[in-house]
Amino acid sequence: MKEIWTSIRRTPYQSLSAFLILFFTLFLSLMLFVSLTFLNSILSYLETKPQVTVYFQTKTPETQIFKVRDELMNSGKVLSLKYISKNEAFNIYKQLNKDNPLLLEMVSADILPPSLEIYAKKPIFLPEIAEYLKKQGDIDEVQYEKNIIDKLLILTNTIRKTALIFFSYLIIMSILVLITMILFKIALKESEITLLRLIGATNFYIRKPYVMESLFLGITASILSFGIFALSVLYFNPFLQSYLKGITTLSVDVFNYQLVIWPLNYIFFTIVFISTLIFGAIIASAASYIATNKYLKV
Amino acid sequence: MIVFDKVTKKFPLGNTALNDVSFEIDDNRFVFLVGQSGAGKTSILKMITQEIKPTSGSIIVDDFDVTDKNFSQKIDLRRKIGIIFQDFKVLSDKNVFENIAVSLKVIGADQSEIKAEVKRTLELVGLSKKEMVFPVQLSAGELQRVAIARAVIGDRNIILADEPTGNLDPKTAWDIMKIFKKLEGKRTIIVATHNTDIVNSFQKRVLVLKEGKIIKDQRKGGYEL
Repeated sequence: MKEIWTSIRRTPYQSLSAFLILFFTLFLSLMLFVSLTFLNSILSYLETKPQVTVYFQTKTPETQIFKVRDELMNSGKVLSLKYISKNEAFNIYKQLNKDNPLLLEMVSADILPPSLEIYAKKPIFLPEIAEYLKKQGDIDEVQYEKNIIDKLLILTNTIRKTALIFFSYLIIMSILVLITMILFKIALKESEITLLRLIGATNFYIRKPYVMESLFLGITASILSFGIFALSVLYFNPFLQSYLKGITTLSVDVFNYQLVIWPLNYIFFTIVFISTLIFGAIIASAASYIATNKYLKV
Repeated sequence: MIVFDKVTKKFPLGNTALNDVSFEIDDNRFVFLVGQSGAGKTSILKMITQEIKPTSGSIIVDDFDVTDKNFSQKIDLRRKIGIIFQDFKVLSDKNVFENIAVSLKVIGADQSEIKAEVKRTLELVGLSKKEMVFPVQLSAGELQRVAIARAVIGDRNIILADEPTGNLDPKTAWDIMKIFKKLEGKRTIIVATHNTDIVNSFQKRVLVLKEGKIIKDQRKGGYEL
């Protein structure tokens, strides 16, 4: 630790520029990673919502509705179905408007349509299911959210591709800057390295101080970028709560484990923190390894 | 033992540093390498430490055949060799103790061994009271003493000195050579030098080089070109 600190003090500007570039890379990577995770989880959330909802006319007998339901189930395109009767629809309505007696007085179970909430096995079946339903008699309205999911899918894919390019750029940039910085430091100590080689020092012994200093900078930059990220999230938490109002839980599938990311929870934060640390350490070690290689050929 | 057998070194641009050089140096012997600048003295030292490789011929250093294509013990070989340079190559950001200790640190010696060995070596080179002093506060003679201490500490049984007195005044040069005298018979010492007085007074084996060839090998010789 003493040697790391001494080295930083001797070349403060190089160390500061290396630190800032690492911080910049890690902070932006962190923001991109978390944004993508949120988008993916919103996509997963939307996919769990009823993908097609068909409202029957109020006079439609239940036998007719059940006939449609059974035909859909036998089509092989439907994952699951939920029948909402008039009474159930009224109960939902009452629950939604419990604070508004006027609205409750105006509506009775008779005027609410029965409906089917349909979850397709794949999004591509949605237009076919909707088309089939429109051809049935006694149908009041067919709603499906294909457009929203499609748009979100396109958005997520675009952001993912952009993020990948941006990530690659950031990584290459920070590694190059770090290599340059370490090479500059090594150039100042070239005769020392030559001497160490001539008296039998191993590559590891020579590399160690440079790798340790880079690791120190990488880990410090990781901690700072995560700290600022965490503070920003806490600051924007009220805004997020109002924006995501109505969404009780957002999660992503990590090796078949549903990792909850909303509401904010410490497991997700811990994973993000550890990933940032590992990412920072890998960038720093890779750069110092490449930089020292040049001077180990004596 | 150090054996050079028909060693030739040609550099890519065509200049020949050594031309068919052969000699043997038994263990714990003292040898001077003399010759004009560019005669090949430093090339011999650099080949012993594996800094450069010969174009042809074979070199054996302390049972290591360093010219073997499969030679992979460069680090082990270098841990047996201590090197002293004309420009000292003392590490400016480390004090005297640390400069000497680095020789043992690189081989992974423990702290107590380092402390004891450095103390003993500081006494040998006459710097006992300066172990915490930084190089900037030392004279040229003292810097060379530090370099000698770094070269001889531990089990380094071959000492190579490339113009060790080249940057020193005559009196200091003699003081430095007295340290070599103390090591005589205990290590193999090869000194490349231009210093006529020192070579003549030591009466040790002298290898005279000229244009990459050994032109004289005197068992108890003086400085002659």
